[in-house]
Amino acid sequence: MGRLRVLLFATAREAVGRPRVDLTIPDDGTRVETVLAELTERYPRLVPVLAASRLFCNGEPVARRAARLAPGDEFAIHPPYSGG
Amino acid sequence: MSVRLTVRPLRLAPAYAELAGGVDGGVALFIGRVRPDGGRSGPVTHLFYEAHRAPALAALADLERSARARFGAHRVVLWHRLGRLGVGTASVIVGCAAPHRADAFAGCRYLIERLKAEVPIWKTEERRRRARPRRGRPGPRSGR
Repeated sequence: MGRLRVLLFATAREAVGRPRVDLTIPDDGTRVETVLAELTERYPRLVPVLAASRLFCNGEPVARRAARLAPGDEFAIHPPYSGG
Repeated sequence: MSVRLTVRPLRLAPAYAELAGGVDGGVALFIGRVRPDGGRSGPVTHLFYEAHRAPALAALADLERSARARFGAHRVVLWHRLGRLGVGTASVIVGCAAPHRADAFAGCRYLIERLKAEVPIWKTEERRRRARPRRGRPGPRSGR
């Protein structure tokens, strides 16, 4: 088993109550959709936030929820941007 | 190229110096500031800005390249401040230097609009709560 770090910003951070969460995942990795299911089970307030969020892995956009994440990856949830 | 995410105050003079280093005929600058938006829960007193730094810097660099290609911009400034900022404080400076004013204006507008939509930066509002009358509290006693 290995560690997956999840970074949370703005409304995602507010929904979870902290800026990052570490999840334990299998050595051969897991799917994005599995991680999202675990997060929403633990933190139901994330559900509406995720519906409008973009997802990133190691700084790169994740296009498909079937994409795989590996131990050591940094997975980020980006709610709609509001800079400026 | 000049892209920056910083907790330090943004200053106009260095931004202009960055843009004016060439011989472009047009230099357009935009400064975004924290405004005291009203609302039922009271006026905004501060905005807290945060960014996902590496993807944000990459997105800013993409914008800079895009402005060069679309508007012939020779120099671009994309500076965003992070942290807790009070009303009236500059949160962003965007600038575009191009041979002619039309491209400088259009490039500057393009940069700030794209920045707001595509760069992983977020603001969270802090408001001053409006005073509300408390329930159940007796008013002034009438004289008997």
